[in-house]
Amino acid sequence: MHNITLVLRHEIATTLRKRSFWFTTFVFPLLILAFSLIPQLLTDRFVGDDPVSLLTGPAGAPQQIGYVDQAGVITTVPADLSSLLEAFPDRETAEQALHAGQISQIYLLPADFMQTGEVVVVAPSLSPLAGEQNENLLRWVVAANLLKDEQRADLVLAPTAAVQETVIAPAEVDNRSSAAGFGVSFALMFILFFSITMSSGYMLQSVVKEKENRTAEVLLTSLKPQELMIGKVVGLGCLALLQMTIWVGGGRLLLNRGADLLAGLGSVTLPAGFWVYLVLYFLFGYLVYSSELGAIGALAPSAREGSQFTFVIILPLLIPLWFNSIFLNDPNGTLATVLSLFPLTAPTAMITRLASASVPAWQPVAGLILLAVTAWFFIRLAARFFRADTLLSDTSLSWTRLRGELRNTVGSGK
Amino acid sequence: MTTQSSTPTVQITGVRKSFGAVRAVDDVSFDVYPGEIFGMLGPNGAGKTTTIRLMLDIFRPDAGKVAVFGGPMEEEKKNRIGYMPEERGMYRDQKLESTLVYFARLKGMDEDEARDRLAGWLQRLDLYDHRQKRVQDLSKGMQQKAQIISTLVHEPDLIIIDEPFSGLDPVNTRLVKEIIEEQRQAGRTIIMSTHQMYQVEALCNRIVLIDKGRSVLYGAVDEIKRRFAGNAVLIEGEGDFTSVDGVLDAYQRNGAWHLPLAAGISPQEVLRSLASREDVHIERFEVAEASLDDIFVMVVQGETPDG
Repeated sequence: MHNITLVLRHEIATTLRKRSFWFTTFVFPLLILAFSLIPQLLTDRFVGDDPVSLLTGPAGAPQQIGYVDQAGVITTVPADLSSLLEAFPDRETAEQALHAGQISQIYLLPADFMQTGEVVVVAPSLSPLAGEQNENLLRWVVAANLLKDEQRADLVLAPTAAVQETVIAPAEVDNRSSAAGFGVSFALMFILFFSITMSSGYMLQSVVKEKENRTAEVLLTSLKPQELMIGKVVGLGCLALLQMTIWVGGGRLLLNRGADLLAGLGSVTLPAGFWVYLVLYFLFGYLVYSSELGAIGALAPSAREGSQFTFVIILPLLIPLWFNSIFLNDPNGTLATVLSLFPLTAPTAMITRLASASVPAWQPVAGLILLAVTAWFFIRLAARFFRADTLLSDTSLSWTRLRGELRNTVGSGK
Repeated sequence: MTTQSSTPTVQITGVRKSFGAVRAVDDVSFDVYPGEIFGMLGPNGAGKTTTIRLMLDIFRPDAGKVAVFGGPMEEEKKNRIGYMPEERGMYRDQKLESTLVYFARLKGMDEDEARDRLAGWLQRLDLYDHRQKRVQDLSKGMQQKAQIISTLVHEPDLIIIDEPFSGLDPVNTRLVKEIIEEQRQAGRTIIMSTHQMYQVEALCNRIVLIDKGRSVLYGAVDEIKRRFAGNAVLIEGEGDFTSVDGVLDAYQRNGAWHLPLAAGISPQEVLRSLASREDVHIERFEVAEASLDDIFVMVVQGETPDG
């Protein structure tokens, strides 16, 4: 136990001194966050409730539109919108202004508008997003004039804009319909994928480093190969948990302050026990993959040779990322369910499903049990690869050798 | 001094070890006693390192018995051993002092004690001012001295050192020899594996020569040299002495030709052979005391005094 503790402390101290660890802990998630959320932020800005913002693009430049009101509906334009709306007496004058570039669109309210509700839009080119923005603005101005009350116009156009939910029964999770819900599910999938692969990658590097520095032989005169493996797995696991806590803690902070930071993020609902599942799936997922890569490290003579096998090892963890759309479109379908129960894909798949929609209660429990059993199996298998002869060997690692080692190890039942 | 009446510190009896189809160690036996410097010799790939690893319980023997400190290896006994492998092992990207502290702690020392003792050793070996440098920034000789410190800092009862003088300049070689002698005087058992025969002759009480996985020569250095006396001649003169019948090798040392003889060849036969040749002129001919170098070559080539 004393030796395991020493190895564990050594691994923690060594890794904490690496710049790459701090880079991946703080800079990397910020980049992911930026890539995931900036499009959402921009979209929300375009489709928000503020009429002025509807016409304010990212650069903040207002785009003036013209209207010809033959029905006599628009009698007043609010002062803060007067710079955006310009009235024209007839279509010809308005079209001249459009050709001169003074306005971007023309809205024609014909004389029978009150009977038909028809509006004609004249624009120099098709622009669906701008058209929608202008239409929202005109809709609101018409409603305000018809009702003679701006507040009532707000209510008529969005009667349940400020609903406060009070839950008295277990909530059904369904974040599929909101972009923020999708963003959270997808971000969690990424976080789990990167944290498991990076922390398991540290395991590979750490084991290979003992071989490249020729320290394995010195260490083996003081401790058993399995003590070395356990010390490394636990030490790097502690750091992986720290990294995960920072990432998820940052994520939770974002959720709690979601209303301020990002419209819609605060409305994302996660099921009871979600955070416990997240930690457990992460830990067992880390044990599976760090054992696998640790075993590769024990066999490979150098980091370069070991890294050639990394992609194949982490491939199962990538599969849910490739099929990410199924977790939004059909989170309880066959493929999503199978991926979330299969131990090698479960760490990312199950958490994404849990964050996306309600999952039958037995499934996360069953997935966790299968994952734990797999972790136990891989730890035992890796321990058999952590032998003096493999740790002191310079023999090149090939698929043939790996197959042979597996056959000998499993066959001998050592 | 060697006290062969006491229990051996290391007892290797009929040990065998194979890796796949290759038998690396085949029926090797020897004892090492407290307070002696024991030389382990052999050509590259002879099985010396595997024998050391069997001794240290890094490998388990397929057959035979290894006893250390009077019995099988146990975890507590590992802390009584200091081992310096031929391929020096240090974390190249880490600072010297923290690396040495880590290794010392793995040998059962607490951190304060390790730092205190390391300070003394680092000062003695002129590494104290370099203790905060990364290992990769130290010269090869400095790394070698750091390795020696790591081997000795926990004051082990059994010291196993593989090629302790490689990479050292003459000044540091002398310093390390002093340290080894000092450890022997302190009653510690030292097993030294080296190719530098003159160091073995100068330091070792007894030796074992391992070749092709087997122990082919074993005993006290003086006794072995006596056994092989008469199996080499020293010649001064003019002419080509490299092709003489019954001679294994011919090399010049201090102006004289040194000729180790093949098994069954006497110095008189060599003298008669040379006397009959007209292309050589002999000024001095004498029976040489065989050096360990000669003995090493003779034994490895299968030439023993008994034929």
